[in-house]
Amino acid sequence: MNAPLLQVDGLTIAYRRGEGWVRAVEEVSFSIGAGEVLGLVGESGCGKSTVALQLLGYRHPGLRVEAGSVTIHDQNLTDLPRVELDRIRGRHISYVPQNPTTALNPGMRVGAQVGESLRAHGKAADTDLGALFAQVGLPDDQAFRRRYPHQLSGGQQQRVCIAMALACGPDLVVLDEPTTGLDVTTQVQIVALLADLRARLGMSMLYVTHDLTLLSQLADRVGVMYAGRLVEIAETGSLFRTPRHPYTKGLIASIPQAPGNAGFGTRPLRGLLQRGALPPGCPFTPRCDHARPGCAETVQRLTPAGAAHQTAGWRASQLVHESQVAASEPPRRVPARNETLIEVKGLSVAYGIAAPVVRDVTFTFGIGETLALVGESGSGKSTIARAIAGLLAPVAGEVLLRNAPLAPLVRLRSREVRRQIQLIFQNPDASLNPRARLATTLRRPVEYFFPDEVHHSLQLAQTALDQVRLETAFARRFPDELSGGERQRAAIARALLARPAVLLCDEVLSALDVSVQASILLLLQRLTRESGIAMLFISHDLAVVRLVADRIAVLFRGEIMEIGTADRVFAAPFHPYTHALLRAVPKPLVRLADRARMARAPVGVSPPPGRGCAYAGRCGWKPSQLCHTTMPPWQTAPGGLRIRCHLTPETLSARAAETLPEEIFA
Amino acid sequence: MVQAASAAAGYRSLWRQMPLGFRIGALMLLAHLILAVTGPFWAPYGYSQMGTGIPLSGISWRNPLGVDQLGRDVFSRVVHGSPIVIALSLSATFLGLVVGAAIGLFSGYVGGWVDLVIQRLFEALISIPFLVLALIAISAAGVEASGSPVLVVLVVALVYAPRIARIARATAIDIATRDHVTVARLRGETAWSVMRRELLPNASGVLLVEFALRAGYAPVLIGSLGFLGFGMMPPTPEWGLMISENRAMLLVSPVTVLGPGLALASLVVGLNMFTEGLARVLGRTVRLGSQ
Repeated sequence: MNAPLLQVDGLTIAYRRGEGWVRAVEEVSFSIGAGEVLGLVGESGCGKSTVALQLLGYRHPGLRVEAGSVTIHDQNLTDLPRVELDRIRGRHISYVPQNPTTALNPGMRVGAQVGESLRAHGKAADTDLGALFAQVGLPDDQAFRRRYPHQLSGGQQQRVCIAMALACGPDLVVLDEPTTGLDVTTQVQIVALLADLRARLGMSMLYVTHDLTLLSQLADRVGVMYAGRLVEIAETGSLFRTPRHPYTKGLIASIPQAPGNAGFGTRPLRGLLQRGALPPGCPFTPRCDHARPGCAETVQRLTPAGAAHQTAGWRASQLVHESQVAASEPPRRVPARNETLIEVKGLSVAYGIAAPVVRDVTFTFGIGETLALVGESGSGKSTIARAIAGLLAPVAGEVLLRNAPLAPLVRLRSREVRRQIQLIFQNPDASLNPRARLATTLRRPVEYFFPDEVHHSLQLAQTALDQVRLETAFARRFPDELSGGERQRAAIARALLARPAVLLCDEVLSALDVSVQASILLLLQRLTRESGIAMLFISHDLAVVRLVADRIAVLFRGEIMEIGTADRVFAAPFHPYTHALLRAVPKPLVRLADRARMARAPVGVSPPPGRGCAYAGRCGWKPSQLCHTTMPPWQTAPGGLRIRCHLTPETLSARAAETLPEEIFA
Repeated sequence: MVQAASAAAGYRSLWRQMPLGFRIGALMLLAHLILAVTGPFWAPYGYSQMGTGIPLSGISWRNPLGVDQLGRDVFSRVVHGSPIVIALSLSATFLGLVVGAAIGLFSGYVGGWVDLVIQRLFEALISIPFLVLALIAISAAGVEASGSPVLVVLVVALVYAPRIARIARATAIDIATRDHVTVARLRGETAWSVMRRELLPNASGVLLVEFALRAGYAPVLIGSLGFLGFGMMPPTPEWGLMISENRAMLLVSPVTVLGPGLALASLVVGLNMFTEGLARVLGRTVRLGSQ
């Protein structure tokens, strides 16, 4: 890397707050070489997006650059006038935003939108739009380009955004969390596409994300940001194998699928980033296990640590030799399966008069057992939870609690039944009343379900806060005074106060940062183990599911494809869809060598619901035309694993053996 | 001592952060309130005292806003009328808010055919021009009730309630889809309990702004009723009624109408500037609270 393409020097950006300015980004310096992929990783609010946008010379109107420069082609982007910037943006540096749904103009055909950026740079005449679309794996026909954004899937929309970014052949593409809103399988395809494009076009990328695992597959170097500072920057392999900064170590330890993280062996990060209470020195001091008195006062600058590895921790050289925290996997509790708690029989649920989104789903789970529902978005996971909770009436089938059938809707159920089933939502911001103090929110279930205990409801609320590891003083706070993870804990505390028999956890981790996810997961695991509460854990993330679930049900388009104990689901034989899902789970440091095949996974037409296998259209192992015409039978594999497929378990095992073992996350 | 000084400094800086319109409006309102509370004690004449000067004689030191055709001092009448106008406007708007918000939140939360019926009813009420609606209500109440302040309050509330209810309903529909309301529904809470605990606290910002905006227009509405002779009865020094009484002599002595007109205008402008500022300030904090 002799001449870097882009150089960022001591960039400091501040935002206006009241009368003064607060620094969002402080003295960030890095460079990106020609053809290099630099990853930028950090928790939400660490300033990584602010840095990314500044590379295009853009910042929000409330922000100002206090110091530093961003140099590309001998031009400093921080003080160029708007007209000059317009010439550079799109042509030399382009941008792929996080959410393609809002990034595309809904009233404009996608072909015209891509053409727009070509016209802006006067290249409309000599560029073939079809070739551009083909380059990003989209159909190159005219008809496709005449579609509107809402007629495309999320993955296709993101591809259009990428095509737009590539339109003028830029030197550098800035990608701001481009796969965060997408499904695991779609995510793999987009990452494979990016790796492929990079190999073919040799352009540089800055990839901003909170997902370290994903970066490890794509990036040459990774910069770790914390509270507006770059705390470590190193080559990907070196960063993963020998992280120097305590924060990086914590971040890697928080990844469920990181090497050696069989359970929660290594310590995940504790505490939270609280921007209001940062010490003048190293911002990580309040959460650091290795902090020394000097840390809080002294600003630590990046110092070289080994070849192409820089870190901002002054004790880094000592830390390498400190003993690793002994990994101890929590003993897996043997589920007491002697009594069935919830039984779902032939459940079908529909919204309005449309075709059912959940068809003929049957499963049971016992007292104290954790059942995970896994599947991509739109597979009906949440719909099943809502039907069990009584928010949606099933069109067919029924739900039984302790062998007694439940009324379809919540208002028809008895208070006792309502108390026993508690739902926890994905987004903790919306699930707490913003205008009520936590004490009010937490005391309400006690008042409602246990009128006899009203006189000490406050103590009960405080005990519940303690149970979810929140300070009892939090009872006086409003939800907006808490962080996302703390709010989710409060929502869990509220559910616990009803003393439920079963918790329905609907994607409870998706809205949280990686480091917070691990602690919430630990909490749920401990609570279910201590109190014997059963849990229906809904998630799209197989790595997370593997850590909590006793049994797993894999859902596709509203039908269960495979159901069995966790170890059985994660071992051959696999249902073809489970197999695809497992291959899609990103693994640290495993390059996407021949996973590029995934990018061209067959997308065929599935038979209409009820007329054949729901997965037939996407199945790579399709045995025959049979799949399109006949519903597949349930096959029973050893260990009670049940798979819905026309292929026998033996054939499925043989097929699974054909793939390389390291390709499968299990 | 130090604490008091710092608290005062805190309020001063808070005051400086408020929008300019809010500050001007607040000062105008404060002047009106002081006038309303203290006015009756220092007004030079009684509101129905005659012979305070030569009728329609114009502005003089003795009668700063002139003398009306019956020889009453217009300035004294404006001062005496101030508490009446403010009390009527605020109580009428408040009544409209309570009724409108309760029905609107309920209608929005429950939905279905209940919502459908209530909304069509309210649309019918809103489609009648408000003065016509007020006149229908007053004539329905009968001759005996005419001129009673209670009737005026009820009529203005009747005009306002459907309009406030629509805003409350829209807010309720928005809030009802949030997860914390779903949690309450899953618990099996009654509609009344959900409205009180979950909807009302979150709609309070919107409702407060709505109250303030409506209160700003209430004096005009009450004045219009008075002007048409359907509001308060003479000799009540209600400003709209005063304008109406002196309207006939407008060409002879325009100045007699100026007093109540200016008073009414400054109250309405003050209320509007105050509420517009309040909406901006609250809008900001309400958003912060719900993020």
